[in-house]
Amino acid sequence: MAAIAGVSITTSKVFARASVRSSKPSPIKLSLLNSPWKSCTTHLRMYVRPLAAAPDKLSDKVEESIKNAQEACSEDPVSGECAAAWDEVEELSAAASHARDKSKDSDPLENYCKDNPETDECRTYDN
Amino acid sequence: MAVSTVYTVQIQSLNSISTPSKSHLGLNQLFYSSGKKTRRATHISCSADNDKTVVIGLAADSGCGKSTFMRRLTSVFGGAAEPPKGGNPDSNTLISDMTTVICLDDYHSLDRNGRKEKGVTALDPKANDFDLMYEQVKAVKEGIAVEKPIYNHVTGLLDPPELIKPPKIFVIEGLHPMYDARVRELLDFSIYLDISPEVKFAWKIQRDMAERGHSLESIKASIEARKPDFDAYIDPQKQYADAVIEVLPTQLIPDDEGKVLRVRLIMKEGVKYFNPVYLFDEGSTISWVPCGRKLTCSYPGIKFAYGPETYFGHEVSVLEMDGQFDRLDELIYVESHLSNISTKFYGEVTQQMLKHADFPGSNNGTGLFQTIIGLKIRDLYEQIVTSKVAAPLEATKA
Repeated sequence: MAAIAGVSITTSKVFARASVRSSKPSPIKLSLLNSPWKSCTTHLRMYVRPLAAAPDKLSDKVEESIKNAQEACSEDPVSGECAAAWDEVEELSAAASHARDKSKDSDPLENYCKDNPETDECRTYDN
Repeated sequence: MAVSTVYTVQIQSLNSISTPSKSHLGLNQLFYSSGKKTRRATHISCSADNDKTVVIGLAADSGCGKSTFMRRLTSVFGGAAEPPKGGNPDSNTLISDMTTVICLDDYHSLDRNGRKEKGVTALDPKANDFDLMYEQVKAVKEGIAVEKPIYNHVTGLLDPPELIKPPKIFVIEGLHPMYDARVRELLDFSIYLDISPEVKFAWKIQRDMAERGHSLESIKASIEARKPDFDAYIDPQKQYADAVIEVLPTQLIPDDEGKVLRVRLIMKEGVKYFNPVYLFDEGSTISWVPCGRKLTCSYPGIKFAYGPETYFGHEVSVLEMDGQFDRLDELIYVESHLSNISTKFYGEVTQQMLKHADFPGSNNGTGLFQTIIGLKIRDLYEQIVTSKVAAPLEATKA
């Protein structure tokens, strides 16, 4: 269940980028949510980026915290310990998500091109 | 014209003391370090001008779009906001030319282990040091630098503090910016992001489903376990906010997945330096579908509403957008029909939205209203600065 949904999220991201190339956006597609106006500035550079996984350490922590929370709540589902344990899950999930965003921003090519926009590998072409 | 004042205050606090600092002339600092039961804070304040920091509060639950809002806000002021250079890589602070954004999690008095032992969540005021929060926000507002703790979200521990210098605009974002009455008093403007349960669930699925160990059940369990504390301590803050952005499921079509959103911008009337945005005629009640002969919209269309309402006993103006922009001309058309949006040139809202088209919500009311609030805060800042320049002038005349 989790794996299936994970794949579908990843695919939609790829589609979002891919749709940059198709000139005819069909109405109300999830693919348009992330880049509604990208069709105005068509870049030739391949832009497909996989959904970066959170650093392993954090992913392990998220997984572990979920197990702990399920255990803590099996004893007493309305206890403070149970709420605190699920709160830890939320905190770590948010941290993992922020870490993913950060690593997305730190694409080595993007960083290089920020400083060297004129080099061949950074050139973008309009149609 | 530098006037220097040195004064010492004694503050009772759980686990923070301030070591009397070496005095740097011209550098205003307030040092805190942890360990003992009382702290003595030496303020050395040498201000050459009357520049005061404007303080903005942003409240929302974890995972409800505070970071995106902050990126939009700092962008309005120009320049990208970045973590402090050469500091703790896990610092939660963002700094740009004009703004400094701090995360209020840094004022956790209980770290992750402490909360686990005591069985309290981070939402619980007991896990937060409001005395220190108040002292430090007050100091920054008065132009004094502070050594603010850092809560490390990866380790769950409190790291050594970082120096926060007074910026022009100081944003405090987190779970409790409007919880403590003293901190609330310090805010020049406050915003609450109110995400409906349906949308919150959808957003957390988007965020977490790819994460190992998570499932629909775990996401639901986490939201439900945190809900009593959220309802008790976070949600009530919205009554104090000058602007609330409510995010709800669409009413245009049946939509279970939270893809299409109805977003309401609730703006308090009578707030100094803040004139609510309006549609067509200020104070009237208006329902507007921009799609028609002049503008063709994609399915399911766009619908706006505007009008006066009451919110927790306050008079407010509410601007509502249901649906999403699929094309650029839709956004330009809408922008040109809104008034009081505090833009500096025609199309500035559209330009800001386009600049960050990759941010979540750029094609719906969340992005639109966040951008507009960013512009209103810039306007508020400029009015406050102007009034400060004007006040001494008038005093001289008299």
